[in-house]
Amino acid sequence: MASNLVNHVNPVKKERQYFMKAVKIAMMGMTHGHTRKYYQTLLDNKKLDWIASCAQDEDAKKTYELYQTGVPCYLDPEEMYEKHPDIEAVVIASANDKHFEQMKWCAEKGIHILSMKIPTFDMAEYDAMIEMCDKAGIVCQIELEMHYNSVVRRLKKLIADGAIGKIKSFQATNITLSPVWAFPWQGDPKASFGKVSRLKKGDERFKGGALCDHPHIFDLIRHLTGSSFDYIYAEVAPNLRDGLKVEDMLMAVGKMKDGTAFLFDPSWSRLEEKLKVPGPGWERFPKRMEVNVTITGEKGMITCDCFGPNVYHNGAPNDRYTVQYTYFDEWIGLIDEFVDCIRNKKTPLINLKWHKESIQAMLGCYESIESGKIAKI
Amino acid sequence: MNLKKMNKGLDFLRDKYDAAKGEITVKDGHCYVGAVPLLPGRMERKIVELKKMTENGTLEGVSTLRFAAFVPKGADIEEVLAKELDLAAYLGASDVVRVMAAGNGEAINVLAKLANDVNVSVEVAASLPKGEAAFDRHEIIAKRGVACDQTVDTHTPHASIRCYGAKGAVEYTDVDTELFGLTYEEIWNVRAAFALLQKRADAKVWKSAWAKAVKAADLAFKADKAKTAKTIAVKKGLDTNQSIKVAEVR
Repeated sequence: MASNLVNHVNPVKKERQYFMKAVKIAMMGMTHGHTRKYYQTLLDNKKLDWIASCAQDEDAKKTYELYQTGVPCYLDPEEMYEKHPDIEAVVIASANDKHFEQMKWCAEKGIHILSMKIPTFDMAEYDAMIEMCDKAGIVCQIELEMHYNSVVRRLKKLIADGAIGKIKSFQATNITLSPVWAFPWQGDPKASFGKVSRLKKGDERFKGGALCDHPHIFDLIRHLTGSSFDYIYAEVAPNLRDGLKVEDMLMAVGKMKDGTAFLFDPSWSRLEEKLKVPGPGWERFPKRMEVNVTITGEKGMITCDCFGPNVYHNGAPNDRYTVQYTYFDEWIGLIDEFVDCIRNKKTPLINLKWHKESIQAMLGCYESIESGKIAKI
Repeated sequence: MNLKKMNKGLDFLRDKYDAAKGEITVKDGHCYVGAVPLLPGRMERKIVELKKMTENGTLEGVSTLRFAAFVPKGADIEEVLAKELDLAAYLGASDVVRVMAAGNGEAINVLAKLANDVNVSVEVAASLPKGEAAFDRHEIIAKRGVACDQTVDTHTPHASIRCYGAKGAVEYTDVDTELFGLTYEEIWNVRAAFALLQKRADAKVWKSAWAKAVKAADLAFKADKAKTAKTIAVKKGLDTNQSIKVAEVR
């Protein structure tokens, strides 16, 4: 049965809980694909006071300025901190290989952290992150926004209520377009995976592609089954995109320790236009991003589209059939939980310790691709 | 609709985002805040996205709107038609100036004209078994692009989840994390009340817009009886079809 179910914000029970001092928050890096998704929430949420941003470089600063948030942007974190010594929390929105140094910077100053979905793939670094956050006594929440998706919330409830009994099989896609043209670090093995490492012998590609972009399903299965990974087997397919140094197509099968069989597709299987800044017309396939789950249980089954229904059009800019996402408020719940953890000294649902096994399972995929055998997790 | 749950949801949003005090009441099956009728249809996110497309250049040169709404037996189809005609004026950005209709018992088919010459068709029927969820469709056909809240090659709405359990197949579509647990109809009434209390929606505009929609729906039934199209004079003044600022969450 499911365990560790999220304690979501309940509109009925949480009334009048928000008379608390707004958390002074900043953003760092500004090169992650999710960066822009925070802007509206950080501005709207009365529990936050977004006071500064710090871009990785001039290019990231220029892109940031296109969104006209009105929040000052620096290039040097020390300058930002000198001008805003009251920063209490930071959203680290940078390339994966920058996370360790930025977390260290925050931990040394006692600043709470909202980390992007891959803290690091280097497990020694990962353990050091846990240690330094524990030592500093700060909140470190990992951004796995699917938990705040209302469809996922319903899915968790159905499983927890026993609607289909004990889970026997779990199939999930986390398929998207590739963000590499807008966020080049995601196609750079060092920046994405943390080091330059061949996918397997005789393969010209390196680790660091689609798999590194799609941890959600590795996490979701653990929450829904309440179990841990046993083993995993993965295969890469030929890339869809010419010139890409990293993998864009792969799939994985395996079992959880409770016997649940799974099949994952974490590919960049939806083609895109090579836009420098994400915007209308980015997608070639009508739907940019899909998280679809099929679960077979002892008493029934569930099919689930976490990002549907929507509205649809074939208008500007490319006159192609396009899905216009309609229900998309994950960032609200994510930030609410972060603030709640900071102010009420709680541990986030997705914390570094919890998330470690999901990262290990993703590394298991790479290990399996390299060895051609199952990887024990 | 569970008014108590709705008002608790509204209190939660008011508290969280510092909106003015107020509560939802129901009169003749329609929700109000004070004397202001709510326009929940305008707050539905799918309608918000469609409205955006008519304004941000995704669609160019809107020509025709094709709407449909199907509700359970016993529902007030005049109220349903008023809602759809309000959405036609809102998405078409122009008031309804003429209506013709052909009705038969629990169903009515309406052909309307907006002041900007856009054609509107609305099919309404209270034909679903009691207890079934209502569904609707809104299609905007333009010189550049067609937009719709149903995907191509389907004629009924897609659900986020279908659960095949002991009770057979049950569908779920949850659309609002902050108001999780409320029904679709309840959510958009709460969001509409919240928009009013945040002053993002204008009370005068909504009063006027709903009065126009109710009048147009009434005339549609009269047109059916008379077998003659009914004309509505356009009054200069308040533009009741401007978009409402809705919290952007992406």
